[in-house]
Amino acid sequence: MKSNIQRVLIASGAVFALAAPFAANAQEGQEVVRDRSIAYVMTMEEWAMHKTPGAKAECPNGMNEGPREQFKVLFPENGPKRTVVGTQLARESQIYFPEPEKENMPFKEAVGPVVPGVNLDGKIDADDFTNADGGKGIDNQFFRVIGCVSSYRDVAALMVTKWRVDNSFNRVVIELTDVDDLVNDPDVTVTTYRGLSPMLPDATGNGYMPGASQKLDMRFGKDFITSFKGKIVDGVLTTEPADYLMPYQALANISTQLFRGVKWDLRLTQDGAEGYMGGYVDLESWHAQRQESISTHHQSYGQESSPTVYKALKRLADGYPDAAGQNTAISSALHVRFTQVFIERPAKATAQAGSQNGISR
Amino acid sequence: MVFRRFLARVRQPLVCGSAVVAISLVLSSCSQPVAEGPAAAPAIAAEAQPTGSSERRLRLMTSEQYLNTLAYVFGPNVKPDVRFAPLQRTDGLLGVGTSIAGVTASQMEVYQKTAAQVAAQVVNTENRKFLIPCTPKTDTARDDTCARAFLTKVSRLLYRRPLEEKRLAQWVEEAGAGADRLKDFYAGVGSALEGMLFNPQVLFISERLEADPMNKGATRLDSYSLATRLSFFLWNAAPDDLLLKAAEKGELYTQKGFAKSVDRMLASPRLEHGVRAFFDDMLQFDLFDTLAKDGSIYPTFTATTVLDAREQTLRTIVDQLITKKRDYRDLYTTRETFISPSLAALYRLPTTGGWVPYEFPADSPRMGMLTQISFLAGHSHPGRSSATLRGKALRELLLCQPVPRPPANVDFSAVENPKGNLRTARDRVTVHLENPVCAGCHKITDPMGLALENFDGAGRYRTTERGTVIDASGSLDGKSFTDVTGLAQALHDHPALPGCVVKRAYAYGTGGPTAADDKTTLDALDKQFAASGYRFPDLLRAVVTAKAFSQVTATPAAATVAAK
Repeated sequence: MKSNIQRVLIASGAVFALAAPFAANAQEGQEVVRDRSIAYVMTMEEWAMHKTPGAKAECPNGMNEGPREQFKVLFPENGPKRTVVGTQLARESQIYFPEPEKENMPFKEAVGPVVPGVNLDGKIDADDFTNADGGKGIDNQFFRVIGCVSSYRDVAALMVTKWRVDNSFNRVVIELTDVDDLVNDPDVTVTTYRGLSPMLPDATGNGYMPGASQKLDMRFGKDFITSFKGKIVDGVLTTEPADYLMPYQALANISTQLFRGVKWDLRLTQDGAEGYMGGYVDLESWHAQRQESISTHHQSYGQESSPTVYKALKRLADGYPDAAGQNTAISSALHVRFTQVFIERPAKATAQAGSQNGISR
Repeated sequence: MVFRRFLARVRQPLVCGSAVVAISLVLSSCSQPVAEGPAAAPAIAAEAQPTGSSERRLRLMTSEQYLNTLAYVFGPNVKPDVRFAPLQRTDGLLGVGTSIAGVTASQMEVYQKTAAQVAAQVVNTENRKFLIPCTPKTDTARDDTCARAFLTKVSRLLYRRPLEEKRLAQWVEEAGAGADRLKDFYAGVGSALEGMLFNPQVLFISERLEADPMNKGATRLDSYSLATRLSFFLWNAAPDDLLLKAAEKGELYTQKGFAKSVDRMLASPRLEHGVRAFFDDMLQFDLFDTLAKDGSIYPTFTATTVLDAREQTLRTIVDQLITKKRDYRDLYTTRETFISPSLAALYRLPTTGGWVPYEFPADSPRMGMLTQISFLAGHSHPGRSSATLRGKALRELLLCQPVPRPPANVDFSAVENPKGNLRTARDRVTVHLENPVCAGCHKITDPMGLALENFDGAGRYRTTERGTVIDASGSLDGKSFTDVTGLAQALHDHPALPGCVVKRAYAYGTGGPTAADDKTTLDALDKQFAASGYRFPDLLRAVVTAKAFSQVTATPAAATVAAK
């Protein structure tokens, strides 16, 4: 059975685009899998969504309205005299301290049935999606929430990748160890790190140079280190689930995002990797990250109403129930792309200094 | 003629900042009387040195020489954005091309703007405190004493000799008049400095002769011209204060004094500037100013790669030849080099940030300068490698063996047919070798160029081309090899390799192309170089100590300039 990434890439023809530029390189006397390990740095991320022109298929009811449009509806200009406390601040409080039971603005969910992602729970449930290759059981309820919100699509989505590569705070490095064969290996370990080195753009301006080096952040980046057990079948890496905290800086505002039960599904080559990072978005972590990093500015321009989105997240959450049975996380997937790098590990003294001083995040 | 045109242009009044400076120039070639040299000045160990003489030169200062000189005179913070006009490569060297350079009106404008930038930086409120050695009585009026103190010091370093009193007085008056007009002492001094900085006597390295007391009827460089020739050769900059003092005392024409100055210069960190400039010129690294690759074919070859490739080779040269004083020939077999993050990615090697020393392992295909990106990518096409260009570069740059230019009517259709069955570079050049019209030249370039085919047009290692395993065997003047390491060794052992660098160093140092008359000198330098174990600093010492370096004949075409 083909993995999700195989199905999606083959269906889209992307497998050829991936293979061609990668295959020609990776030769300087030896393979880049050295000492049974290979590492990659993330160069692109976008929420895994099914997109059609004009969003006509996935958003049959149109796109959602944002904070400005909602404000006009809630507080029309010809209404009674109002106070700042009763209008702007009242709405602002709902952004930072949402009360879903009080949120009554309409919300337009995105619809499937074809949506990319990963089968996180190993089941085929009624509300699961099917991927482009016909694979069933795709857990991506997050798509229903963000699929019809402008700030997650097109140009706005590109900014996320820009932030990912521009800010070293966001540098995501994965290292595969115990690798005997990059095509088929039943037992490998995947470890996430934060890198510190700048990216090296290639001559086309559209990609990054494989073979660059990344210094690992073993002091302040310890919270971003997570290990996954995995296997490689026909060049596609899949892993067992583990929780992963992802660095997330937008502009100058640093934040983090907790993903529960993350599974990787990546096609690997000597030069790069592409596929999905599936996982359950922790709702409270998400809400905090969104307010800290993206802020009112981008939410307003991206027509993303935080109180309305939060309510939808609570309603559609499908994992990690709390003691009261309320789900605290929602299934999601990031479409991600990596470029091969060599890892530079800091000297032990440097790495230990952080923990000895209690500086570790 | 070129210079006469330049003179005709610069005779026009030139606007210099806020002041108008009229400069006229006087040709003083063979008609100029030869000054008497210092009486009884001992000759330089004549019995041990090659005999002969070189020609008197008039050279245009390069951008780098100008900047290096400014850095010494005013410190590294005074750094204008300068890029003078490209020079004409002559006899393999731009350094030789400086002696036939002309200056157009637009170039004069560049010089003037550069001078204005420098002068403004020198007298600005931040720098004047330590660059001007005195404080005027008032900032708003002339102070001839203070202006003279500054201009005397600076002019000596810029003109590379003490300025005649009459001319110095003119500059002081220029500064005073400017201060009066502008009611600003520093603006006045800046105006005079600006005029000085693009004075032809500063921009042109004009050599003066004197009678050689040790060789009746012969002429030699005067002490200041010898200091200047030494300094531009070894440091790629004008002489420093100590060297000018040695010239003033006549020490450069005493065996002990000359040796002392040369020892000091060879031991100075500034030698690196000179060595880098020489090899940058000899290896024709100015090609990197315009080198471009097809990004879709070579995505890893970026603008940073271009800069770093040049830097890598120059760092390797300085490390091997100056720091470690290795055999010059080992440059072509050493596995030691330096890598930057950008190059490391191209080599597919892990590295740390910045430039770091690196030694390729013994089984690496990288061995010697021929396998560095600078040579491989610099002598390739934008979208593919070229055995011919690489072979031609090896012949011309490293062995000083000129390769004839291809005829104008070459038919490339056979080798450029994309649907043809010529899968590798070897297949393509074989077509040339089968054609008698082409074979004459390709036989002297391709057999060694093909040994570099394991590196693509960007210098990345490869084992196949279009699915066909690359055969990297070849030969160089009777020595056959199976891969690039064999080529590297063959080049290392090639008898013409050391002779070529000797020839280039001599031409670079004396500022002109070598000719048949130089054979005696070059033969002697070859022997000295070999006897030293091919140590490059020893070659530099041998060149400057050669009689021909200081014994100079005036040619009818030579000219010097003097500001009125």
